[in-house]
Amino acid sequence: MNTDRRRINAPSGGTTPPIFARTVKVPGYLESLRPSRTRGPNELRKIFLQTGIIPSASGSAYLEVPLPRTSNSSSLIPPRSSLKITCSIQGPKPLPRSAPFSPSLLLTTAVKFAPFASRNRRGYIRDSIERDLGVHLETALRGVLIGERWPKSGVEVIVTVVEGDEDGWWGDSTPGIGGGITGSGMGAGWGLLNILAGCITVSSAAIADAGIDCVDLVSGGVAAIVRNPDTKKKEGEKGDFVRMLDPCPAEHQDIVAACVVGYLAGRDEVTEIWLKGNVGAIPDELIDGATQAAVGSLSVLKEVVMEAVEAKFQGQVIQEKEGLKRKHPQQDAEMVG
Amino acid sequence: MPPKSGHHRAKNVDYEEDDVYSDDDYYENEEGGGMTDEDREQMRIGAIKVKEALNSSITVSDSQIQEALWHYYYDVGKSVTYLKNKHAPATTTTQPKKQKAVSRFDQAVSAASTPKKPETGEQSAFLMPPNRIKELCTAPSLKCTFQSRRANIKDFDTNTGASECWASAEYPCLYPIPDVMDHVPLSAAEFFRDTPWLNVPTHRLGEITVEPLFPRGGLLGGSSKPSKLAALAAARKKKQEEAKNATSTSTDPGDMKAEADKAVALLDRLSVKSKESASPSSALVQPQPVEQKSAQSKYPSRKRSQTPTTAFQESETPTPEPETSAPVEIPHLRAGPSMFASTLCGITPLPVKRQHLDSTSFPLPYTSTRGFTDTNPFTGPSPDDIVLSARVKGNKSKPGPNKKPNGNKLAESVEKLSVEEVPKVKSKNLNVVEEFEKSGMKRMANFVVIGHVDHGKSTLMGRLLYDLKVIDQRSVDKLRKEAETIGKSSFALAWIMDQTSEERSRGVTVDIATNYFETDKTRFTILDAPGHRDFIPNMIAGASQADFAVLVIDASTNSFESGLKGQTKEHALLVRSMGVQRLVVAVNKMDTVNWSQDRFEEISQQMTAFLTAASFSGKSITFIPCAGLTGENVTRKIEEGKASWYNGQTLIEALDASEPAKRSLEKPFRLTVSDVFRGSITNPVSIAGRIDAGSIQVGDTILSMPANEAGVIKGVEVENEPVDWAVAGQIATFHLAELDPVHLRLGDIICDPKKPVTLTKSFTAKILAFEHVLPMGVDVFRGRMSAEANVTKLVAVLNKGTGEVEKKKVRIVKPGEVARVVVQLDRELPLEVGVRVVLREGGNTVAAGLLEMCS
Repeated sequence: MNTDRRRINAPSGGTTPPIFARTVKVPGYLESLRPSRTRGPNELRKIFLQTGIIPSASGSAYLEVPLPRTSNSSSLIPPRSSLKITCSIQGPKPLPRSAPFSPSLLLTTAVKFAPFASRNRRGYIRDSIERDLGVHLETALRGVLIGERWPKSGVEVIVTVVEGDEDGWWGDSTPGIGGGITGSGMGAGWGLLNILAGCITVSSAAIADAGIDCVDLVSGGVAAIVRNPDTKKKEGEKGDFVRMLDPCPAEHQDIVAACVVGYLAGRDEVTEIWLKGNVGAIPDELIDGATQAAVGSLSVLKEVVMEAVEAKFQGQVIQEKEGLKRKHPQQDAEMVG
Repeated sequence: MPPKSGHHRAKNVDYEEDDVYSDDDYYENEEGGGMTDEDREQMRIGAIKVKEALNSSITVSDSQIQEALWHYYYDVGKSVTYLKNKHAPATTTTQPKKQKAVSRFDQAVSAASTPKKPETGEQSAFLMPPNRIKELCTAPSLKCTFQSRRANIKDFDTNTGASECWASAEYPCLYPIPDVMDHVPLSAAEFFRDTPWLNVPTHRLGEITVEPLFPRGGLLGGSSKPSKLAALAAARKKKQEEAKNATSTSTDPGDMKAEADKAVALLDRLSVKSKESASPSSALVQPQPVEQKSAQSKYPSRKRSQTPTTAFQESETPTPEPETSAPVEIPHLRAGPSMFASTLCGITPLPVKRQHLDSTSFPLPYTSTRGFTDTNPFTGPSPDDIVLSARVKGNKSKPGPNKKPNGNKLAESVEKLSVEEVPKVKSKNLNVVEEFEKSGMKRMANFVVIGHVDHGKSTLMGRLLYDLKVIDQRSVDKLRKEAETIGKSSFALAWIMDQTSEERSRGVTVDIATNYFETDKTRFTILDAPGHRDFIPNMIAGASQADFAVLVIDASTNSFESGLKGQTKEHALLVRSMGVQRLVVAVNKMDTVNWSQDRFEEISQQMTAFLTAASFSGKSITFIPCAGLTGENVTRKIEEGKASWYNGQTLIEALDASEPAKRSLEKPFRLTVSDVFRGSITNPVSIAGRIDAGSIQVGDTILSMPANEAGVIKGVEVENEPVDWAVAGQIATFHLAELDPVHLRLGDIICDPKKPVTLTKSFTAKILAFEHVLPMGVDVFRGRMSAEANVTKLVAVLNKGTGEVEKKKVRIVKPGEVARVVVQLDRELPLEVGVRVVLREGGNTVAAGLLEMCS
């Protein structure tokens, strides 16, 4: 817990997530509401991505993993969380005079959760989780930018998580994202991986929007090893494991391990990797899955970036055509007097 | 084209308008108003005469005649000559004017209407873009402005060649005002349509762009020439690119076409690997959706050798090799915007408004001239290139194969590198427990001095320090002098402990004062607690650091009794509940009762009765008669004859006799922050407090709770002396590094990061009630720390002696009862099992308790 000690805070008691009466009265009610994975183990959730949402920034993008439309609205408990991330790029701009000389572009990343981004409210000061995500994101992006082309300048990548993936379903013991409140949730933080993958993809789109030179488009992907719920029931004790791409933590009760990568598909390079949980002897399977998920999100990223580029160049092409038309008669007319 | 004609025209218009304006209504009124009947008669006669005289040769209106008569005071002759003069030349002057009005502009227009015939040189001068002509004829009247604007608008809308423009010039009057007003709704945006502060049509935006050939490799603001190194790098890059191009053209002819659109081509290169690796023929064809049995190969990532079999493979089909399935279909993953997204981004995807990217290049005027195109200065290599190529040639002799071993070396050295976080403060890595045993340190004891207000706690401690020569004579004399000046000479000794100006002027201790002294056996730390009831929280903070307590009681009449009702009682109960076992009762101010044995006995009896009720054991209470002001029986024995009845210990002997408290050295490090301050410039963050458990040394990492921030111990001071380590029981000062003072507050717990204190929001405690305890709101105190809380549940009332459950389903806990309750905190506090807490409510201590269970 990192309390904000510089100002008077709102009452600390008021931010516990709501408990619905029926979940207490009817045992197993929450479990009955638990969303189940309808897509295949190798299928990703759909992604909405849009660049150029913030006019004042030099580049910006918005990423969302929208909820599938569900008709089941008998309960007030919100279904699963959807991911909503915005990213804005400031710069490249010259470093302040006071800053020491830097021969290449200085990259600064900041990840901030909105106070309402998770079930447990978050503070206004960046806490350790947010800083941690920022460092991860910086690692993912640093190798992608061609920094030598901007000596003495800096660029800021500012990511705001408007809504984040939770670490589990409502009844699950893990509190908050990454145990944000109690500080001791070691097993938690599955949602963080999804958030990081989203951050990587959205900042990649924003960087492309800003027109900063990159070696490739980096994209994020998550894969997890999940205990198979069906076999568990049959055999009783230990279920076997299944690899899932793009796991939604609310849908899986037992995530054994998960991995997020920042992946450059064009160069087959991994810029960022974050493994969590009990991976087992060989993590390759998991990393493979994560890269596959990254390739999946790249397909959307590429499409969106292409569209943005086309929109930009379309105007130019029309312009050039017009210019040709005009030029012709102008050359004929002679200016006298 | 001379602008003169247009100007003239405008002038003429003005004159005409003036003529129109001059009607006579105004004058008539004035005339009628100022004339008498006589005047009218004269006017009538005069007018007839003038008409006759003018003889209809000149047509003059009646009113003009009347006016003339009025001016010449009904003189017929003068009026006639005036009228003749005025009206006869007027007809001649208007004639030339009308001829002049057929201006060059009109000629131009007429010439324009027959554009095929312009032969004369003069007419060719009017060959101008139509809008230019329009602009020239902008008269001050709004009408014309509208016309020209309308023409402009039309130009931009149609955007066609010159012929159409001419057409609009043919009919300069096509757009009369009402027409414009009707059809063009004049909003402000429309009116200022092409002004620079609004949306200027992109094709009218000028931008001078210099397209760089390559991104600059050099530094900003440096010389324009790249450095040698940069040149070499550029050359190498160029070679590589050429090589790459050669291969790509050989394999994929389709790429050549794509070269035209560089941006798109670049993106194409980002495509999935397998696409690239596919045969050139298939690369040209759009990847066809191939039927796949499962979604296995949806996201082929990389070419890899067979993945080693893993435990997971049993449950799963092996991952397909991307190489085998050449063109792959990536499922459509793109989702439509949700409600939120469509609000955020706009329902239709916004057209990208990035003007600098639209890049409307504005051709410079001289680019079309023949001379410019012919010279083409960039055909040959630039002077810089010539120099550089010459240099490259010169350097070629340098051996190339050197590079390979170099690269290996580099790889080796990189492998050797290992990232090691170097802590800023070096730890000596002492085994503190061993060190401590070796040092054979004297026993250490911290005691808190408690008692009712004005019972002489501070004075007694001041006397103790003075007599033990901790404070020298000089400073005591100085204090005595100061005290006398404000008429409180008896406070001089108390001022040794009370050092702030507020404490001195009010004559009461406000905050805990700490001081040290040493006897032959033991090193003592005094914690002088405030007696006033307003400062009980400070007293609790002090008591939480103490091993034993000295209870000071005023022996003088009434004082003892009032104390027993007041803080003597409360303090005694508090220290007991804070875990203090041993109590030295100093019966102070014996000099005021003439060392009366009866009084001493009385006080001892009453206090023993009370203290045993408060579960102090009789053995651990010692009563000492003394007098702090005079110093008798503090360190030296009572003078002969005064109290022959007493032959027990002095106060200092009683303190020495106290058994040392057990130290929990092996437990994880815990410290309660009792002070945060700026030690010096070199030590900006310092804290002080008693080490509750464990040991610490310089260089150790610590964790501050509840802020959960880590820091490093830069220095340790015990009793104002820098040391390398400190152990439980010591009250020490720590200088910290890498920790912001924002994260430190009084009462925070500093702990070992490996075994941190857990933050608790609710706990079960065994409490001793001082007042009635109901499920209610209370303040929980633990040392300096406090938090609002609620007693949520009264679990049971316990037996005082055995601790067994006496009664379940408790509604109320009466004073003096021991009970088990559940307390819910408003915010999380670092609490552990075994910690003692005090519950207070509205300035009164309600209960004190021991934590039994955290949850």
